[in-house]
Amino acid sequence: MTSQDAPGYTRLDICRRFVASVKHSTLLELEVLEADEETVRVRMPYQDVLVGNPETGVTHGGAIFALMDQAGGLANACRIFPDFEITPTIDMRVDHLRAPRPRHAVVCEAHCYRLSQHVAFVRMSVFEEGTENEPASSELLATGLATYMRMKLPGASRVVN
Amino acid sequence: MDALKSLVESCRRGETPYQTLIERVPYACFLGIEVAAHGEELVFMLPKSPSNLGNPTLPALHGGAVAGFMEQAAIIFLLLQMGEPRVPKTIDFTIDYLRAGHFRDTFAECRVTRLGRRVANVHISAWQVRRSEPIAIARAHFLLSEETASD
Repeated sequence: MTSQDAPGYTRLDICRRFVASVKHSTLLELEVLEADEETVRVRMPYQDVLVGNPETGVTHGGAIFALMDQAGGLANACRIFPDFEITPTIDMRVDHLRAPRPRHAVVCEAHCYRLSQHVAFVRMSVFEEGTENEPASSELLATGLATYMRMKLPGASRVVN
Repeated sequence: MDALKSLVESCRRGETPYQTLIERVPYACFLGIEVAAHGEELVFMLPKSPSNLGNPTLPALHGGAVAGFMEQAAIIFLLLQMGEPRVPKTIDFTIDYLRAGHFRDTFAECRVTRLGRRVANVHISAWQVRRSEPIAIARAHFLLSEETASD
């Protein structure tokens, strides 16, 4: 993170403020744990209302998808920081490697690995909380790959209070 | 299992509304999904709701809510096509966002491209104004059963 032109707010501030403004994400109870230039980590707690299969209590894939899409958008914001742009999703693919265990929170790690003039390219991984530092990829719950369109806001390239 | 099978069969016979299938899924209720049958064709609806908003200033629907809606639509659609209904497990889900999802009702319909013994391939299309102008299209693979995976 560069300190030149320090804007008075951090990437974490921006991400948290952004998530707080998104109604659907607040209902998913998303919490931004970390946000730096390379990586964003977002936590989603287990909630009964997000269950997709009432027989197993497993969280719906759609909720995992929403977590990943949101984390990807935040990864873009961290790369573009301290400027600000809206980055609607162009396309996104999620592979569900394992079902998350009921009653366990999950953490999504998103990384914008290429920012071109018009498009942002993002990779995401989802872990069960507490296993994110285990290197074995078999612990992964889901992986994702997405592209986002950069929409520069005229006259609003900086976040203002 | 048997409860699900008899529910699915009852829906197929028209004795139980399809909505009953949706109401047993907590996440589908969380999003507020509804289903309407036109003959044997199912159209799913995500009624406009502030809880599904993403960008608050546009306002636009959360892409994740739209994707979750489409995934759930495919799951219900598949359940009704399976001889031995079991909740399909999503293997992968791929979506293209074609237009902004405005703050209004969203509809979805599904097409099963291939229904195999273990894997189903489903195409889902979502629209708001007219069917011919989808806001998102998706394709997904579902695992239909693991109990029989070794036979």
